[in-house]
Amino acid sequence: MKIKQKAFLFFILTSISAISLWSCKDYLELEPEFVQDADNYFTSPEHYDLALTGAYDLLQGSFLHLWIGEIASDNSIAGGESVVDTKGLHDIDDMIHGGVNDELRSVFRWNYSGITRCNFILENRNKIDFTGKDEIIAQATFLRAYYYFQLFKFFGDVPLILDERLGSDGVSDSKRTNKNEVYDAIVSDLNSAIPNLNWMASEKGRITKGAALALLGKVYLYRNQFAEAATTLDNVINNGGYSLLTNYNALFAVGNEGHRETVFDIQYTGIEGGSYDCLICLEGNAAPGFHGIRQYSGPIYGDGNSYNLPTKDLYDAFGANDQIRRDASILDIEAFKQSQSATVRYAVGGGGHTGYYNNKYIKRQGEIGAPDDDLTSPVNYLVIRYADVLLMAAEAHNRNGNDGTALNYVNQVRNRVNLPNLTSSGSALTEDIWNERRLELAGEGHRFFDLVRTNKAANEITGFTPGKNDLFPIPQIEIDLAGGNWGQNPGY
Amino acid sequence: MNLRIFFAIILILVAHSVSAQKATVKGQVKEVDGLTIPGVNVLEVGTTNGVSTNMDGNFEIEVENLETAKLKFSFIGYDSKEILVAGRTTINVDMALASIALEEIVVVGYGTSTKKEVTGATAKVDAEAIEKLNNARMDQALQGQVSGVNIQTNSGSPGGASSIRIRGLSTFGDNDPLILVDGVVYDSEGLNALNPNDIASINILKDATAGIYGVRAANGVILIETKKGEKNAAPRLELSGFTGLQRTARRLDLLNATEYAVLKNEMFGTANEEFPFRNTNLGEGTDWQDEVFEDAWMQSYNLSLSGGTKSSSYNAGLSYYTQDGIVGGEKANFTRYNARLNMMNEINKKLKLNSVLLYTNESRSTLPENGIGSVLYNTINAFPTDPVRNPITGNYSYLEEVSDIINPIAQMENIYNDNNVNKIVGKEELVYEINENFTLTGRIGYNFALVDAKAFSPLAWYGPGKAQNTAANENLDPTQVEIADSVFIDRGANVFESRSTFVDVTGETFLNYNKIFNEDHSVKGTFGLSVFKRRGESVNGTAFNIPGNSIDFADISASLADGGFLNNTGSFQFEERLLSSFLRGEYGYKSKYLVSFIVRRDGSSRFGPNNRYGIFPTVSGAWVFSEEDFFKFPKITFAKLRMSYGVSGNDQIPNFAYRAQLDGEGVYVFNDVITQGIAVGRASNPDLRWESTRQFNLGLDVTVGDPLTFTLNYFIKNTRDLLFQPDVSAILGTAGPGGQSPVINAGDISNRGIEFEVGYTTDPEKDFSYAINFNTTYLKNEVKKTPEGVEFLPGASFGVGGNVATRFEEGFPIGYFIGFETDGVWQSQEEIDNSPLKQQGAKPGDLKFVDQNGDGEINFNDDSDQIELGSPIPTFTFGFNFNVNYKRYDMSANMFSAIGQEIIRNFERQQPYANQLDYVIDRWVGNGSTNENPRLTTESNRNTEFSDYYVEKGDFLRIRNVQFGYTLPNEWLEKAKVKSCRVYISVNNLATLTGYRGYDPEIGSAGGPLAAGVDYGFYPQARTIMGGFNLKF
Repeated sequence: MKIKQKAFLFFILTSISAISLWSCKDYLELEPEFVQDADNYFTSPEHYDLALTGAYDLLQGSFLHLWIGEIASDNSIAGGESVVDTKGLHDIDDMIHGGVNDELRSVFRWNYSGITRCNFILENRNKIDFTGKDEIIAQATFLRAYYYFQLFKFFGDVPLILDERLGSDGVSDSKRTNKNEVYDAIVSDLNSAIPNLNWMASEKGRITKGAALALLGKVYLYRNQFAEAATTLDNVINNGGYSLLTNYNALFAVGNEGHRETVFDIQYTGIEGGSYDCLICLEGNAAPGFHGIRQYSGPIYGDGNSYNLPTKDLYDAFGANDQIRRDASILDIEAFKQSQSATVRYAVGGGGHTGYYNNKYIKRQGEIGAPDDDLTSPVNYLVIRYADVLLMAAEAHNRNGNDGTALNYVNQVRNRVNLPNLTSSGSALTEDIWNERRLELAGEGHRFFDLVRTNKAANEITGFTPGKNDLFPIPQIEIDLAGGNWGQNPGY
Repeated sequence: MNLRIFFAIILILVAHSVSAQKATVKGQVKEVDGLTIPGVNVLEVGTTNGVSTNMDGNFEIEVENLETAKLKFSFIGYDSKEILVAGRTTINVDMALASIALEEIVVVGYGTSTKKEVTGATAKVDAEAIEKLNNARMDQALQGQVSGVNIQTNSGSPGGASSIRIRGLSTFGDNDPLILVDGVVYDSEGLNALNPNDIASINILKDATAGIYGVRAANGVILIETKKGEKNAAPRLELSGFTGLQRTARRLDLLNATEYAVLKNEMFGTANEEFPFRNTNLGEGTDWQDEVFEDAWMQSYNLSLSGGTKSSSYNAGLSYYTQDGIVGGEKANFTRYNARLNMMNEINKKLKLNSVLLYTNESRSTLPENGIGSVLYNTINAFPTDPVRNPITGNYSYLEEVSDIINPIAQMENIYNDNNVNKIVGKEELVYEINENFTLTGRIGYNFALVDAKAFSPLAWYGPGKAQNTAANENLDPTQVEIADSVFIDRGANVFESRSTFVDVTGETFLNYNKIFNEDHSVKGTFGLSVFKRRGESVNGTAFNIPGNSIDFADISASLADGGFLNNTGSFQFEERLLSSFLRGEYGYKSKYLVSFIVRRDGSSRFGPNNRYGIFPTVSGAWVFSEEDFFKFPKITFAKLRMSYGVSGNDQIPNFAYRAQLDGEGVYVFNDVITQGIAVGRASNPDLRWESTRQFNLGLDVTVGDPLTFTLNYFIKNTRDLLFQPDVSAILGTAGPGGQSPVINAGDISNRGIEFEVGYTTDPEKDFSYAINFNTTYLKNEVKKTPEGVEFLPGASFGVGGNVATRFEEGFPIGYFIGFETDGVWQSQEEIDNSPLKQQGAKPGDLKFVDQNGDGEINFNDDSDQIELGSPIPTFTFGFNFNVNYKRYDMSANMFSAIGQEIIRNFERQQPYANQLDYVIDRWVGNGSTNENPRLTTESNRNTEFSDYYVEKGDFLRIRNVQFGYTLPNEWLEKAKVKSCRVYISVNNLATLTGYRGYDPEIGSAGGPLAAGVDYGFYPQARTIMGGFNLKF
């Protein structure tokens, strides 16, 4: 009997517990552990700070802007292991790119991811008040402007989403906002960020007032607002405390990062590796390793994937007296091989070979990116440096009719590499400044957008169709995913 | 039965009955079709009075009372019959062949049924069929045994997993069925821990009647029963063991050094580049396959003790299994220890306690396999011109020309990757028979697993520029990491360790009702509640600078990392719960008309408050039309038509997918230090719900005579609201690091198929007996709908950074292959120039692609000229099992075949220096030379675009097992106190007929449904020769 009673007790207990659990809905109400929900966040200043770091993260995808800015132009070819290795870049190189292009899609997606992270902060900007909030908001606002500026340059009209996170249902209602409106939003974001930013960064890598002003100046230049550009860039030149580095060769060395010519650079580290499967997840710069020499063994340089190879056209564009910049910008591998006493070995990739490598962003010994050197590098990407500011300002003043200031600025840049002063004026000076931009900023990702901006792309780029290739196509899959309501860019 | 004893009993019984003065009943016993049956046992019911029929089937028995006496006729192989004498003195009896198979118990979830009465599509596999193969895993042994269940071996390495696909792929995500061992949930990933020798039977619920398991039943349910003891049985000790030698069943035909050098020279020469080899007379060179493959041993021993008293039974066992790999030897070892104790105790007449306790310790070492960079991938692509070791330095050769192909021998030497699992599975179950109609069951099942992993990565140097290098140079100096301005530290050997625990508990209580009204109306009912909870926790760490670069010190505690700067840690935890109730009612009229309905209500913590509970109904019915009076085919002893329709669910999505969490990656570098921030991980979808599968099954079971059985099933399985994480619009911002698309319900998949099984079994008591079973499955899988705005979901890529070769797309099977169709080789420049077809960049000797859209040119930039090139899903699978016994000899064979699937040959590195299969000797060399293989050149060309040139038929027929056994005569054994002893030799994977060029046409789908059929250098299944014994004491 006793056993029977115990057994009954067991049944009763299991049944009761089962029934009570069953009727009690709480049993299935689990809360995630050790992680916070996206809603109900921003309850302490630290939250803003952490979310801001998340918004900075997407800057690291900018190596793609560098690649495409060069490969699409007359400066370089795609390279790589084969013609299907990162095929999107080869298509762009050949000016046959269309709506199916993984790299363009990454540009589109990564910048929107950055925008979304900025909006996450900005929509919650009024949750609490604390000292230092204005600067955090200013940084987030700057970042949003930067991301939109990339989209503006690449794609023209893009959906403008400000201060909100879309739900899935928000996608089908979206439409491409006219690029003028996007442009106005970028200008407005930068103008609202500038007053709350400092000239000196609190930490290496933080956005400064100088960075925001320089970007604003650049944005104005893209819309030919030369007066505004000149004023804005003059502000950087006069108040920023920047100057040109004496040694042009030292501009892109890890050891010199944060030098006085740095206006806005994207921070990378070589300490954490990663995988080819997720380039946006890397904390290192993908460009130098990818630009590196294939199967390289020898001194100074490291091994890499032979991407983004400079053309002979670019090499030859440097005049006989412009060797400093030429050799700092372009590595002539055979010449280098001859000059070395140690054995130099390398392989030629099936994706193309010019004999030249991007010598600014290239894998060098001592700038490693463990564990896979091909993949990451600690070398920061200098998005805007003081020489760029000077050249932009020169262009703005020249177009504004102030050739004296223009010459002053452009000659500062030339004198640094022992080149004689320019003396031209008017439209000849404009051409000279544009040419100076190509040579000074070779391999830094500006060329294609400069050519398009100055209406010179059709002359310089084989296969470039004006009215079509000025913009890249919106990735077809993004048009589909948005419900098919977005139009494609003309010609695609 | 031993005939002598039988007759002795009969004599005693006859002698006993003669003493009484009673009436005599005479008669003859015949089979239904007329033959008389000798030796039939005739017993007066309620007495010990009995006789047996003579050679002519006649009997004569005296009974107590001619009116009330009841006679029972019984004979092995026939249905017993009871007949009231009712005053007759002559009774002729027809006996029907027994449908032993029909009375076989079928486990259907929270109860049992019989093969005769079951209304669903089920299949049963017995222990013997599983044990015979000596596989490490139960699922491997299941292949080819039953129709509708396709087992794909995902790796031939010891302890390598398989995927079990019941009636095709019905979901985009996890397609594994729900596996229950003695009612306890058993993760299919953890099947390595289950000893196939502990299994008594496997029941598979294939159709909607699996819906008794509700939200987890859409992929089918596998119910495994472990071995139990029997009551009133003397202790029985059994010992079995085997040892086997494994060898690769296949080698690829690769180029030897001379062929390689000649062809590479041609390759570079045609591109006007320098010849890589001045001398091509290099002999055979290195056969890397010789170096990598080895003969490997395996062995296993099982000890079990079972028995029972009047009120209890037990079955205990111990076992050991170990297997080395044919690649890697002990670096690919799998070793397992199992202990088992199953007990049943009748506490009193009405109350029974069932206990199950299974303990496992398993350890497995693995090498990189089936991927770019795997050992076999390197083996295939390594240059035959390089020696294994450099003769001058003694170092492993560097294979310098290709950055990602490394010396496979050096690679294996540097890999230390070990896993260890301790697992306890148990159940305590009380069964209370309230009365003859009601039974109440309460049980707690639990599963505890402690999973440890350790991976040591020493400093290694494979040659200049190799991506896999972990050292800075060939002296194995560590690389340097700059942690602050000009502050460098060493990055030495590292070790990764993790410890995870997984616990789940299932509490269930259910009431079974069983009553027969008025003899003809059978009513059964089941009602129960179930509560399930699973929790997992894990911590892991990586520590650098292991002293001595040696495995001997490979532990986090030994780390010498400066300031611990590089070391890092991680952890995770999860918990999930289910709350369910279920009801099943069954009604049978005269065992002729059977209907059943099932309803299960499941609540799952995986879904948000909007959709937490789901209801899953199923109806099924059967009609045993052979019992009908109008059924006039005496040869057909049993015929049943079955039908079922129902809904079941799939909840295989991540926890908390319904809400957005800040678990993305938001990391940036400030002050040169990696700085952590936050970001949204997966986007939320509060309306997320389970995917549901509607399944219809029409089945027919027919038995002809007794030995011949047929089963036919036709099924339609439509899955709706597929759980997906498709690409979403960029403007949702989910493409950042750690970001993920929301999980959504979208898309439909349909599986239709026909299953057919036929079995023939002769009387096993005879000297010569045999059994044959053949089964086949036809399956058509089709994606019916993709999420809105998503034309297709891209799957696996071809080559390195190449085209996406597989897709999930409407109108095609899951993971079908898409690429260019080729039409031979361009033979000459004139042909190219004169062709109406424009193929950009084509040169003589290049593959000629087919213009699918008819626009006159091959479009490489979109998919307008790409078509379906194949599917990884077999159209037909066949299983064939065969057993023969002759006296003491036995022989069995097991075959499996799959037809209609294709394989992508993706183990060839498309790189100038990589070695190649020798079919390239027949390459194009000039006009008219061949229309099969393109030219060899390092020139830029489109020949490596994904096309049908890289797709092969995957059809194969494999003789999986052939076994010869001999049972030793008893006389020999009696002295050794051994009851029986059987010895056998056996060969697994004896032969494979296939046209496929890779190692193994059975390449599984380790990377999920969209990576199925893509061969990266699959770890092949070994051919194993085994010798073993079974001893019973």
